Amino acid sequence: MIPNTTLGRLADRLRLRAVRMVAPHGFGYLGQVLSSAELFAALYASHYRPGTDRIVISPGHYIIAAFAAAAEVGLLDEAALETYGHDGSVLEAIGTEKSPAVDLTGGSLGMGLSGALGFALSQRLRNEPKANVFVLVSDGELQEGQLWEAAMFAAHNRLDNIVVLLDANDSQVDGPVSSITTIEPIAAKWESFGWAAFDVDGHDAEAVDAALAQAIAADRPAVVIGRTSTVHGLSVLPEAADGHFIKLPADLAEAAIAELEARLA
Amino acid sequence: MRNRPYPTVLKPYGQALVDLAAERREIVCITGDLTRQCEIDLFQDTFPDRFIHAGMAEANMVSMAGALARCGHIPFVHSFGVFSTRRPLDQIVNSVAYPNLPVRIVGFMPGVSSPGGPSHQAIEDVALMRAIPNMTVIDVADAVEIRKALPVLVDIPGPVYLRLKRGEIPVIFDEDHTFSLDKAQVLTGGRDVALIANGMMLSSALAAAEVLEACGIGTRVVNVPVIKPLDQATVLEAARAARLVVTAENHSIIGGLGSAVAEAMAEAGVGCPLRRIGLRDTFAEGARTAPPLFRKYGLSTQHIIDAVWSGLGQADPAPQAPSLEVAPGEYAPV
Repeated sequence: MIPNTTLGRLADRLRLRAVRMVAPHGFGYLGQVLSSAELFAALYASHYRPGTDRIVISPGHYIIAAFAAAAEVGLLDEAALETYGHDGSVLEAIGTEKSPAVDLTGGSLGMGLSGALGFALSQRLRNEPKANVFVLVSDGELQEGQLWEAAMFAAHNRLDNIVVLLDANDSQVDGPVSSITTIEPIAAKWESFGWAAFDVDGHDAEAVDAALAQAIAADRPAVVIGRTSTVHGLSVLPEAADGHFIKLPADLAEAAIAELEARLA
Repeated sequence: MRNRPYPTVLKPYGQALVDLAAERREIVCITGDLTRQCEIDLFQDTFPDRFIHAGMAEANMVSMAGALARCGHIPFVHSFGVFSTRRPLDQIVNSVAYPNLPVRIVGFMPGVSSPGGPSHQAIEDVALMRAIPNMTVIDVADAVEIRKALPVLVDIPGPVYLRLKRGEIPVIFDEDHTFSLDKAQVLTGGRDVALIANGMMLSSALAAAEVLEACGIGTRVVNVPVIKPLDQATVLEAARAARLVVTAENHSIIGGLGSAVAEAMAEAGVGCPLRRIGLRDTFAEGARTAPPLFRKYGLSTQHIIDAVWSGLGQADPAPQAPSLEVAPGEYAPV
């Protein structure tokens, strides 16, 4: 069920934009948007202040969601979205140095939080007023050791303006994260590292929004864990769709667009 | 230049960094839990507000440094050569080199200067760093060169790997020594053999040259502290003038200075023989002290002399490298 709220509708618009970006290719990183749409919707609609805050997309595969969100809030020309993933486009399918509308993204997993710490440290070194550093992290990345190096560092150094949005969609290339290497209990892990953790239904945009507000206000680095699914919001997808890299032939793309347009009508 | 045995000093890098940081507020100093060992306790004492303890977490350290550089800081990141290159290789590539950020990665204890075994012996760090686009790779020979190099390398717009001997650092050059990013230095002017060396092997090359000159073999010693980008003009000029080229590096012969010289010679069609002094595709081992490792793995002054002797086709036995008594606080090549 898609909650029929303003944020929920924004999340669906991100899904629709992403389907349109992926459709010409016939496949792509659509599952990443389907799962994280409410996280991005709540962040961009209510909390992220472009030009003041920093935004890091740690798994570059999620850059499609950041592009869609940036277009929604006017940070990115809508026409540019049509070039996503095409030869010669600045909007490469996996985030790169050229990716607009974000401060840092990456194709090699597990590095984004460290980059965010660098941004937060810079504010401290320069005695700048604290601004939020938002980091989108995926649950599969928790298997990378660097992420826990960064988590330790953030808590020890009291970088309380770091806010992680963790898309816990239980999806990695080889299958469900839970079937490859267990990372649960996620919240308890972060808490044991000195973080504030908020474990919510990642498709309940209002819950995500409220958790983000608490995370920003926390006196510690904080993580909002959104429990999500890579096929959420598109009932036309086959049961066995590979959430990491969804195949979207023309007829399925058409059906997906029709479903989302109908819901947004 | 001074004569062997060379006097030594402690912490010339640490002092040079403090001196530079006094003028350059952008500099931040980051340690991977090897503060005193990397001479940066001086920085910690002088500028504690610009000193960051990353702990034993090299991957996080390097990626943080990249983001700091994005914000206009000039991070100097410190660890042993093995831990600052092997361990965070992907982070160096993605967080630093690909975005071409001015992070200075400093790796101490090069090659077999550590008696600590393969886990602590950086025998492939130059090869790893040289293979990365945008990266400048520097291996300095003495305390004067360190001090001269820092104010130059600080303004390189992209990343730098700086390789430094740990502990007592010899003083080989005079105060008027210049460090250039573009020009290698021709230190002696013979024409039979070109001895191309850097870092800890420069003093050995100079010692070998003296012995060879005494035997009537004209020896041109070229100091190449900047391995990448290589000063091809100076290297090729020396190679063209010589009957034999010998490179000497405290590193594997694969991918380091010897490889860089070989590539330059081959691409330019310079056809004289080349001998490479360095670890011959092997790991070393732990030892009580480092000099026996230099001898065992072919990195001694005698090995350079022998390479020249056989490379020039001399039939008689090679001359022997003199052994020098070294008092505490002095340094002589192995």
